[in-house]
Order: sequence, then structure tokens, then C-alpha cells
Amino acid sequence: MGGIDLSRIFTLSLFATTFRMATPVLFATLGGIFSSQAGIFNVGLEALLNIGAFFAVVGSVNTGSPVGGLLYAVVACVIACLFFSVVHLELKANAIIVGLAMNIFASGMTNYLLVTMLDSTGFYQSDLIIGFKTVEIPFIKDIPVLGDLLSGHFPLVYIAFFSVWLVYLILYKTPFGFHLRSVGENQDAAESVGINPKKMRYLSMILCGVFCGFGGSFLSLSYLTLFSEGMTAGRGWLALAAINFGEAKPVRSLIACLVFGFADALALRLQQFGLPSQVVLMLPYVSTLVVLLGSAIADERKRKALNAKHRSAETALT
Amino acid sequence: MQKTTRKPVNSFFKKIFVEAGTQVANYAIIFLISILIGALVIFLSGKDPIAAYKALWIGAFGNGLKFADTLDRSTVMILAGVAGALAFRTNVTNLGLEGQLYMGAFAAAWVGFSIHGLPSYVHIPLCLIAGCLGGAIWTLPVIYLKLRWNITELVTTLMMNYIGIRFTEYLIAFPFKDPTATLAGSPVLDASARLPKLMQGSTLNIGFIIAIAVAIFVYWFLFKSKTGYEMRMVGLNKDFAAASGIPVNRSYILAMTMSGAIVGLGGAIMITGFFGRFLGSFSSGYGWDGMMIALLAQNHPLGVLPASLFYGALANGALAMQSATGVPQTAVVMVKGSIMFFVTVTVFVPYIRRRLEKWVA
Amino acid sequence: MAEAISVNNITKTFPGVLANDRVSMEIEKGEIRAIVGENGAGKTTLMKILYGLYRPDSGDIRVKGEIVKLSSARDAISKGIGMVHQHFMLVPSFTLAQNIVLGVEPHKRVFIDEKALIEKVQRISDQYNLDVNVNKLTLNASVGEQQRAEILKALYRGADILILDEPTAVLTDIETKELFSMLRGLAKQGKTILFISHKLREVLEISDNTTVMRQGKVVGTVRTCETDDCELAEMMVGRETIGGRIRETPENREKDVVLNIENLSVLNSRDLLAVKNINLELHSGEILGIAGVDGNGQEEFVEALMGLRPALTGKISIDGQEVQEFSTRGIRESGVAYIPSDRYRSGVAVDAAIWENLITSEYYNKPYTNGMSLMMREINNLSDSLVKKFQVSTPGINVKAGNLSGGNIQRVIAGRELGLDKAKIVIASQPTRGIDISGTEAIRQMLVDYADRGAGVLLLSADLDEIIALSDRIIVFYNGKIYNAGFWYEGIRQVVGQLMTGGEGGCNAEDNAQTC
Repeated sequence: MGGIDLSRIFTLSLFATTFRMATPVLFATLGGIFSSQAGIFNVGLEALLNIGAFFAVVGSVNTGSPVGGLLYAVVACVIACLFFSVVHLELKANAIIVGLAMNIFASGMTNYLLVTMLDSTGFYQSDLIIGFKTVEIPFIKDIPVLGDLLSGHFPLVYIAFFSVWLVYLILYKTPFGFHLRSVGENQDAAESVGINPKKMRYLSMILCGVFCGFGGSFLSLSYLTLFSEGMTAGRGWLALAAINFGEAKPVRSLIACLVFGFADALALRLQQFGLPSQVVLMLPYVSTLVVLLGSAIADERKRKALNAKHRSAETALT
Repeated sequence: MQKTTRKPVNSFFKKIFVEAGTQVANYAIIFLISILIGALVIFLSGKDPIAAYKALWIGAFGNGLKFADTLDRSTVMILAGVAGALAFRTNVTNLGLEGQLYMGAFAAAWVGFSIHGLPSYVHIPLCLIAGCLGGAIWTLPVIYLKLRWNITELVTTLMMNYIGIRFTEYLIAFPFKDPTATLAGSPVLDASARLPKLMQGSTLNIGFIIAIAVAIFVYWFLFKSKTGYEMRMVGLNKDFAAASGIPVNRSYILAMTMSGAIVGLGGAIMITGFFGRFLGSFSSGYGWDGMMIALLAQNHPLGVLPASLFYGALANGALAMQSATGVPQTAVVMVKGSIMFFVTVTVFVPYIRRRLEKWVA
Repeated sequence: MAEAISVNNITKTFPGVLANDRVSMEIEKGEIRAIVGENGAGKTTLMKILYGLYRPDSGDIRVKGEIVKLSSARDAISKGIGMVHQHFMLVPSFTLAQNIVLGVEPHKRVFIDEKALIEKVQRISDQYNLDVNVNKLTLNASVGEQQRAEILKALYRGADILILDEPTAVLTDIETKELFSMLRGLAKQGKTILFISHKLREVLEISDNTTVMRQGKVVGTVRTCETDDCELAEMMVGRETIGGRIRETPENREKDVVLNIENLSVLNSRDLLAVKNINLELHSGEILGIAGVDGNGQEEFVEALMGLRPALTGKISIDGQEVQEFSTRGIRESGVAYIPSDRYRSGVAVDAAIWENLITSEYYNKPYTNGMSLMMREINNLSDSLVKKFQVSTPGINVKAGNLSGGNIQRVIAGRELGLDKAKIVIASQPTRGIDISGTEAIRQMLVDYADRGAGVLLLSADLDEIIALSDRIIVFYNGKIYNAGFWYEGIRQVVGQLMTGGEGGCNAEDNAQTC
């Protein structure tokens, strides 16, 4: 890489792009955190982002306002999540298979509706889609470095990062959050004190739908104002990786999202320089595997130390 | 407390009848619901569902040529489905078929475009073997993480999917870039690496026969061979298998690698039979299709054949449906999706069983 | 004194089992009542009825003199009944205080009022003198502390009657002492305590009165200060042998050691020592009975023998050959047959055909395979002959094992393990649990035949009658160690009963910690 000036790659805007790239993943992650804290392994996040992105466009065209689009997206995602919940919780279908089914169903549905509702194939772009406008934060925007970094983003970016705190509050500071987590961690314990696990799982899935709706509308109504087939580009899977990486804790998962966002942003930049962005795009998935391995190694160390203690106690006896 | 004591087996054949009847009725319900969902969607968009389904049928089976194309479509699905069935039978949740498919496809392409001057009867087998190896190698990290560190394959196989897809993208964008190509793709394969066609005017090639042979082989392997017996017992009850002295870990390794190899072979056949070069994102989710097909076939390798044919027909007929009636071809994806929604639903089963039992008695 | 809770003629049946048979008892306010009995005596069923988890078929429950209907744990809680389960109902990532208030958290608007939460828990902890570190995460808390949190959880919800299901099973000696002093304190403050146990020494130490249950019935209730462990053990295990002795111990005992275990220690799944440095010899031609209440290390011991669980320390030798590093298959090939205790978990694959369940030790040998394929003709012949020989009642060998009754499943397992007359050592764990009489007799006879032919038989059973009826020599597992009850003789039952419940084997009234 001798010929390439690294300072041209690692610029301020790279970090600003990081926030932008992390946003949709972060929304899906926050949604997935709810379902996974309630004990549902939701592999349908990719589908939910897809549905959200599509209906955001529809809503924006229909109402002429990005907020209307957001509303459409949220409602559509919540309905999808409720459908998931009914099939899983009432009809007792395997959650993983339902999630995979949702991914397939959603890709078919959005493409189908794209043709029948918006009369285009694979791709829809139009002046009728009203996207969000960027927000300049007064005062901060005038501060040299901070301004470039923090100001001038789309509102959903701020909402995403603010939501991390919100989700943290909900999960760790309210009775609702306590009940939700208890259902996921020890269902018997929750039931023994009168908490209804099914109800909590439904609620968690609804919240999951809400956040995925936000994530989807960011994809199609902010930086880009269009819908295209496959525009989610695996962000749902990334969110799943982030949840795994962060053990479904909001702040730890945020870190994962930022890392993934940075990898995305860096990949974009490298592409401009004709460097292999694909390798960088592999990083989020590889790092998830590395983290899983790392924590398994740490667990085994602890166990080994304990066994050694037992063993020495035993030999002392004989 | 003891388990509920079961009723004595007094009327064995009635029991078999009820069992089989329940299965058939359950499938009928699933298909009916899914086809109705499809029809409803088509109807709601202002089109005629019956005309659409008819066009779909004609598109898939209307004449010999169309039927041949349908068979070609189902080739990779057979292999992906068999791969899924083999893994799931051993209770190995290989959700990484898609990534393994890409790796197998690339490995085959690599052998196909980088080795020259071989006769076909050497070059083709080499490509196919490379495909198997490519798919199998991609399962090795998963196996290591599971057996050495007890990390569930559920997550690791999902991660390996995207790593595989990105990795092959990288390979065709940099080390193996074809400078003349407009699409991101590898160089074109030598003619000696291309699979012979079975029918003029159709893309159907010898890969279809290979796929059927693999399905039959896996059937034999699972149900008639010593090792397959071990794997099935591990899949049915791992504790039982362990207590009986059946090598549980070996079965896991075999199920994973064989599954990867078979779906990798599917990728190789797509490249050597259909595309003639490796293309980025060439698979429209065949790995995922394979999983659904395996589930639909209740993980039976021979059941995979009709299920794949069904999926192949949907895929092939969809295009005809679109051009004939204007119903977008993605309508069938929704039908596929809804089938999968319901395929593990078993709530109808006890109801049907009760009705049938009453009827028999 | 006032009556706190009473049950009258409670009967509860499960399919094929009479779990509670006209059980009646009355417990007074402030009393510590122990309920003792072997596994399957019906204690746990009764407690679950009291906590609203099971509905009795007949009979009624009165709390403070008033007849109540308990159809859920919630009902029980509202009547002031609290339960401390043997497996704690705690959420690992919560603090102890959070677990204590789970479901009834104090809150200010939508947020939990953490200050009030801590204060309330602290106050109740002080009031009953149950010391917990309220801010500790549950997963970091000791077992004793978790148990105190469980008790506080019940008290926080206003429980006057506390049911403790085998509370000492998971505790160290020191923690047990602490628990007892806490329980005494609670009783002094007017709480009523039902204490389920099978450790007689603890019962003698803590309870005011003791109710003994056997086979779903109440045998009797005694004032604890007026009894001793001999009397309780006799009430628990019964005086007479019900099945009668089947085994006639051969005159000349053989001396060949087929299985030799030296200094064996084994960890359980939670990395705690389950088997503590034991030594054991099994002779050829001998039936060695292993008695013991479930959970005292026998299961881990057997799993270690079978290569299913690694040995932490020690040696296991079969015919002089060390096998502790062998795989399960290697151990089986050294001549061990194994009937696992939980037949549905590890005895069969219920969704596999009978023949598939019968050939697990043979399918890889000639003539059942040619190295690749299974030779179905030979396999079918073998399966048919085993089904016939072991009288499995089935229309054919292609039927799924899960369609058979429990007794027939056990015959399939016995056929597989014992049918080929190869074994030098038979490890039979609960071989007749839940099986009809003819099946039981057949399997017992097989074990006797094996021993007569010179095999060594290890018989583990929760059914003391079975051990007494079959064994030439009896050892007892208690708390991970083995206690030798010696060769069979007419009165061995009482000794075994005492060893099982933590006694030393001799009877004397000074064992009683209380005086009246």
C-alpha cells in the first residue's frame, strides 16, 4: 500500500460515515436485543429491515412526509413480528425456521409489492419519496472537529444512538424490563412469581418490530431515498452478530455496531482507492467468531483452575 | 414420576394408517394454506389467481423443453436439500449451506479456468471434486469451534455464510479478476470443464443425473450403511448414542463435512453446467432453499427429489407466469416462504390424528 | 396452639402411579415439621399440591382452619404459603435484591425505585435475621446466600408457611448449620416450616415433629425428641422385605476381581465433586448392590465407569487392564454391559425402530456389516431372536421403540445389553424402575443368571427391596462416598437404611440431638 496516503483514508468524514453506517444495524440490534432478552432467537431481522425499508417508501409516497413513511414502516414491522410470534408461540413452530421463513417471505413480498404497488421491478426511485432532512445542531456545528463529526446527520442517526440509552433504561430500570429479562433467563422463576412468559415474549417482539421499522426507514428515507432489492445487504445478519458479540446488552452491542459501522465505512473508502473492501466487510463476521472463541477460552481457563483446585484437594486427602 | 404408560399396540395396521394419514393430511393443509395465501396476494393486486397458477404450471411443465429447464433448476436444489437433510438427520444445524455453496462453486471455477489442456473426463471430475472440497473446507472452522470449544453451529454457520460470500467476492475482484468481464466474475472456464448438456435447447445437463445419484447415494448411506446408522442414532438421541458407544463426535464431523461437500458440489455444477464462470452473488438463495426443501422432505434424501422438483417448477414457472399474466414472479417466493412458515407447525397434527383415530375406531 | 395448615385425605394419582394415598396431617403455627421418606414416597407430590402446582384428585386443604382451593402458585402465595424449591427459582444476572422482589417491584411511575427496593429488602432481611448482600449478583452468590434469597422472596410476599424442598441437599455443613439456626429463628417469630428431607440426622436436629411417608402413605408422625434414627429409618424403609429374597448367594464366593476401582474422584456437571476418592472391588460371580438416595454421586460414578464422564483422579481396571482413558465403546468391548438409569434419556432412541435400538453394540462387527453396509438379513435374525428371547411384546422389529410400553422398552434394552451373553461386568442402574411385575421378575432373573455364570454385577437401585432381594454384598453411596454395609444377612436392611440417611450404622439414642 506504499503509494496510498493513509491520512486520506482516515479522515474525519470516515468517522462521520461510521455513525451513518452503524445506524440501521444499531436499530435492528436494539430490536433484536428485546427478543433475545426475552428468549427468542430472532433470525428474521434482515427481513424486518427489508419490510421496514419498503413500507417507509410506500408511506412517504402516500403521505408525502418522511414521518408518515416511518409510521408505515413501524406498523408493517410490528405486524410482521406479531405474525412471527403467533406462528412461534401459538402454533409452536421452531423460531429459527420461522425466522428464516420470514427472510424468504419478506424478500418475495417486498419485490412483489414493488411491482404491484409502485409499478417497478427491483428498484424504485422517485421525487415522490420525501426523505428526512439532515439536522444541523446549533453551536456544536461550529466547533471545528466535533461539528464535522456530530452535526449534520439525519435525525434517525441521533434517535438510534439516543435509543441505546432508552433501551438500557427500559431493560434495566423498569419493572417491565425486569420481567422481560427474567422470562428469557429463567422462565420457571418468572412463572413462579406470576409473570406471564408468553405475554412478555409478544411485547418483546412488538418492540423488536418498532425498532426494525426505524432501521428500515433509515435505509430508504435518509441517505438514500429509494428502495432497491437487497438494499439491506446483510445488515440484519450483522445485527445478529452484534447481539451475539454484545451478549444482548445494549452498550456492548453498540460497541459492536460501531465496529461494524467503521468496517463498512472503511470498506467504502477503500473501494474508492481500489483496495479490497470485501476483506474489510468480512471483519464483522470474523470478529464475532473471534469473540465467541475468546469467551469460550476464558470460560475453560476458569474451569480448569477450579478443577486443579479440586484435584489438589483430593490428592491432599489420599 | 414415570412417563405416561402407552397404550398396548393392539391394532398395528390401524396405527400405521393413522400415522400416514396424519402426515398426508398435514402436508395437504400446509400446501393448501400456502397456495391460498399466494392466491390471495395475487387477487388483492387485481390479477386472476387461477390464470396465474395455470400459466405457472404451463411454464414449468408445458412441454419437454420447459420440463427440462425445470429439472435443471431443481438440480442445485436437490443437492442443497440433500445436504440439509443429511446434516439435520444427525441433528447438526448447518445453516451455512449458502456460504458452502459459494466456496464450492469458486473452487470448481478455479480448477476450471486455471488448469488447461486436460481432457473433459479428467477436467470435469477434478472440478466437481474441487467443489466438494471447497464446501467441506468451509465447515472446518465450525467443527473446530463446536467440538473443541462447544460453540453452537447455529451462530457460527450463519457467520460463515457472509464470510464465504465476501471472500469469493474478494477473489473475483482482485486475485482472479477477469479484466474483460463487465460483471464481477472470474475468467471463463475452459470448454473441457463444462458439463455436457442432456438436451438441445435446454440448459439441462449431466449435473442433474449426478444430483439424483447423490440423493440415492445419501439415501443408501443414511439408511443402509454402518456409518449412516451411527449418524442417525446420534441425531435421534445423542445421549443414547453416547451411552451405547457410538462415536458421537465422528458423526458430527462427518455430517458437517459431507453436508458442506454436497452443497459445494451443487455450486460446482451450477458453475460448470450453467454459468461457465464464477459470478458474484450467482446464487439466489439456493442454500436457504435447500434448508426449506430438507424440512419439507422431513430430511429424507429421496423426499428431497419431489420437493426440489416442486421448488424448481415454482422457480421456472414463475417467469412464464409473469410474462403471461403480469403477476410478478416473486409471488412464488411468498408461496415458498409461507410453506416454510408452516412446515414445522405441528398443532394440526394432534387434531387430525384424533379425527382419524375416531374414524378408524 | 393454632393450626397453621392441614391436609385431609389427599389422594393424587398419575397414570400408573398412586403418588399420594389418603394423606392427612396437621401442622401448628410456629412448628418445624419434617417430612421424610425415600425417593418416590410422595413427599414432593404433596408439597406441590400444597403450593398449588398440582391439584389433588380428592381431599381438602385447610389454611388457618379455612378450606382453600389452590389452583396456582399465585393462590398459594395469596394464602401465605411460600416455597423454596430445590432448584432455585432465581434469575442469574439479577442482584439478590432484584430476585427477591421480582414481580412485585416497588416503583416510582415507570421506573423501579431502587432505593426503596434496597431498603425494603434490607428491612425484611434484618427483621428475620437472614443476612444477604442485597447488591450481589445472583450468579456470584454462594448457594447458601441464594437459598436465603429464596426464603426472603417468600417472606417478602407475606408467607407464613414455608415449604423447603430438600434444602440441605445443596449446602455445605456450615451452611446447613446456618440454615438451621435461621429456621429456628423464623419459627420463633411464628412462621410455620415444612422441611422435606431424607437425611435423618438433620431431621432429628431441626424438627419439632416428623412425619414419615412411604409409598404415598403417611406411616406415622412422631415427636422428634421422642424418637431416634433407628425408629425413623425403620418407618421409612419398612421392617419386612416385600419382594422376598430371590438370590441365593453361592457357597464358594469367587475371588477373581473383575473390576477394580482405586481412588476414583469425579466431578458433576456443575464442576463440584460428586464422587470423592472411592475404592471398590467387584468380584466375578457377585451381585454388588449399590444403595443410596438419588443425587449422592452414584450416577456420576456409573458415568465415569462407562467413559461418559471423565475421572478427575483414580484408576479403573477391568481384569487388570486400566480403562479410565478408554472411550465408551472401548469399555464396552472390554466386556461391560450397561443398563442406564433413565431409559428414555440414554437407554433408547424412541424414534428409532426396535432393531435399530437392539444392535448398537453389534452393528459394526461381522456378520452384521461387511464394513460398509448393514447386513439386514443377519440383523433381522438377531433382532427377531432377541425380541423373542426377551419376550418384547411387539408386532415387529420395525416398530418405533417409543410405541412400546416402559416395560417393553426395558426388555429391548436388556436384550441389547444382556442378550449375547458376552458381558463380564453388568452395570444395571434402576433396571426395573416403573416396570410391571413380570418384566421386573424377568430382568432380575437375568441378572442372577449372569452372576451365576461368573459375571460381576453392579446393581444400582433406588428401590431398597430390590437391592436386598438380589445382592450378595451391599454398599451405600452417601454424599459422594461409599459406606460398606457388608455381605447380605437377614437384618441388613436397617443398616442400609441408616447409611442411606447419613447414619453411622449403629443404633443408639444418643444420636438424637434433642431432649424432650
